[in-house]
Amino acid sequence: MKFEVHLESVGGKSEHIVDLQKDASACKVLLDGQPVDAHVILAAPNAVSVLLNGDVFEIHVAPSLDGTYKLQTGPHEFEAEIRDPRAWRGRKHSALEAEGRQQILAPMPGKVVRLLVKVGDEVEAGQGLIVVEAMKMQNEIRSPKKGKVERLQAKEGQPVNAGEVLAWVE
Amino acid sequence: MFRKILIANRGEIAVRILRACHELGIPTVCVFSEVDRTALHIRLADEAYLIGPAPSRESYLRIDKLIDVARRSGCDAIHPGYGFLAENPALPRACTDAGITFIGPSAETMEVMGSKTAGKQLARRADVPTVPGTDEPIENPAEVQSLAQSMGYPVLLKAVAGGGGKGMRVVSNDEAFASCWRDASSEALNAFGDARLFLEKYLDAPRHIEIQIFADAHGRAVSLGERECSVQRRHQKVIEEAPSTVMTPELRRSMGEAAVRLARAGGYVNAGTVEFLVDANLNFYFLEVNTRLQVEHPVTELVTGLDLVKLQIAIAAGHRLPFAWETITPRGHAMEVRIYAEDPDNNFFPCPGKIVARRIATGPGIRLDEGVYRGWTVPVEYDPLLSKLIAWGNSREETIARLRRALDEYTISGIRTNVGLFRRILAEPEFLHGEIHTRWLDHLLARPRPPAIPPRSCTEQAVAIAAAYWESLQPGNSSTGSQVPQSAPSRWKHEGRREQLDRQP
Repeated sequence: MKFEVHLESVGGKSEHIVDLQKDASACKVLLDGQPVDAHVILAAPNAVSVLLNGDVFEIHVAPSLDGTYKLQTGPHEFEAEIRDPRAWRGRKHSALEAEGRQQILAPMPGKVVRLLVKVGDEVEAGQGLIVVEAMKMQNEIRSPKKGKVERLQAKEGQPVNAGEVLAWVE
Repeated sequence: MFRKILIANRGEIAVRILRACHELGIPTVCVFSEVDRTALHIRLADEAYLIGPAPSRESYLRIDKLIDVARRSGCDAIHPGYGFLAENPALPRACTDAGITFIGPSAETMEVMGSKTAGKQLARRADVPTVPGTDEPIENPAEVQSLAQSMGYPVLLKAVAGGGGKGMRVVSNDEAFASCWRDASSEALNAFGDARLFLEKYLDAPRHIEIQIFADAHGRAVSLGERECSVQRRHQKVIEEAPSTVMTPELRRSMGEAAVRLARAGGYVNAGTVEFLVDANLNFYFLEVNTRLQVEHPVTELVTGLDLVKLQIAIAAGHRLPFAWETITPRGHAMEVRIYAEDPDNNFFPCPGKIVARRIATGPGIRLDEGVYRGWTVPVEYDPLLSKLIAWGNSREETIARLRRALDEYTISGIRTNVGLFRRILAEPEFLHGEIHTRWLDHLLARPRPPAIPPRSCTEQAVAIAAAYWESLQPGNSSTGSQVPQSAPSRWKHEGRREQLDRQP
């Protein structure tokens, strides 16, 4: 299986083609076309252990809401976007270009502080729709697609739970 | 001893208290709000009862519900922990009315010692030095301003009912007085429903050193030594340690004696903390009394070898304090860091969420007090304290080395934490030399952050491999992969094909 991995950290951006060749006993790794001495296993839930040329790395993986991953090892943090070269679109890309009627969900419990759109407004993919405040932090909830705001369930000042439907974009 | 204890709290402190109860063989009753059904204290308790919706005003702060649960479940004592109702005299009063023992000082003591003004008056009577300032809450800003002028700037305006740095303003000159007064009193009114302020001299670069006291109901009061909590961010403690780097046996004795005098003067019973500010010349000034168990109590536990929660329970049950503790001297060095779910890159905003992965720090000299676990979602409604990581060592250097090592082991994913802040503090030369004061951390954070060390290229490669590997394990990808070994064909399929072929004409 081949993956195109786009990484971002304080060190900058980078791109790697990782080819994982799994068989019954092991997983061979080709990094950017070159075979590398790497042993990789899932050590614990969301914790991948990599032995790379004998160096030990434990990498924690947390999926983000937009389909990217946050990876953490020691003091370092990375953001990764993975594209399957065989697929039409990357994960993030597909999330932005969602089709059909989309429900806008609250990603965390909090309070609706502002509505940025009205019912019937035309919105672009990625445009802010609603601002939800959780523990003094304001988060803009964005539209997953270009379209029209069909319904707005949220009202300003209303407390919401994670996963609660805030709006529909058609 | 008690039959059953109700723990009127949540989070790590509820877990800490129930552990002490279980060691004593006392069954525990815990309470929870609607969002805390899965909290660790509920998983570990013997009995648990729902007391209301998420907002603490409707659950953890409801004295009537707590008393009702205690009665129905047959509890004969209530431990309040810290925060919530721990310093609210209404709880011990309600306990007394219900015939339940409150594990802590009496309502009267709380009123006399817990309020900053009353505490200061008591300190004066007990001959404990105080910071120059007003004893009485002040009403008239003009009068205060002239007092501030005579005292000399900078001065501090503090809410009478304050705590946690709210309703507090430093006034550096006469021009700023009016606006600071307005801000502090409105903040105090919003936070505590009490706009009254008092004024005191602002000490330059003082240390925060506090004395842990214990007093039994038989007239014995002792000091268990000091904790230094000078590393603070906006008046909130961030790192605590014992002993203090500036402490001498003489200073420890005189501060301990002052704290015990104060406890006696206030008729104090149970655990308490007397906070002092210590200036560069090692003069100490009484700040306030915390009439409860402190967040940082494990630091004292590690250097004294005592279990403060069990002591609290024993004293509440009417036991005497053993004699030998009056001569207690700290053994080794202990240091605590408070790990919060907050984002250091975003002005330390709380950022709760689901803990998707974690690695726990353990090993020699490490203690981890926490109320979290993998898979749990940190609720938004409460204080985002995740863990208290406490290290003990023979020397301060060894303690810091252990703490650093443990911070490298401690990982928690899915939420952001302030662990990076501790890595930075524990490498600062000033901190390592003990050259700290209550505004040291604020100054440090105001300086430009040293550029983050970029990951090495092998780290980056390992992360790329890990990301691809993780992706390959996702459900959508398992079918496209060659996970089913080709070397083990299905005999059933093979037989089926053979039969099909045989059927051909």
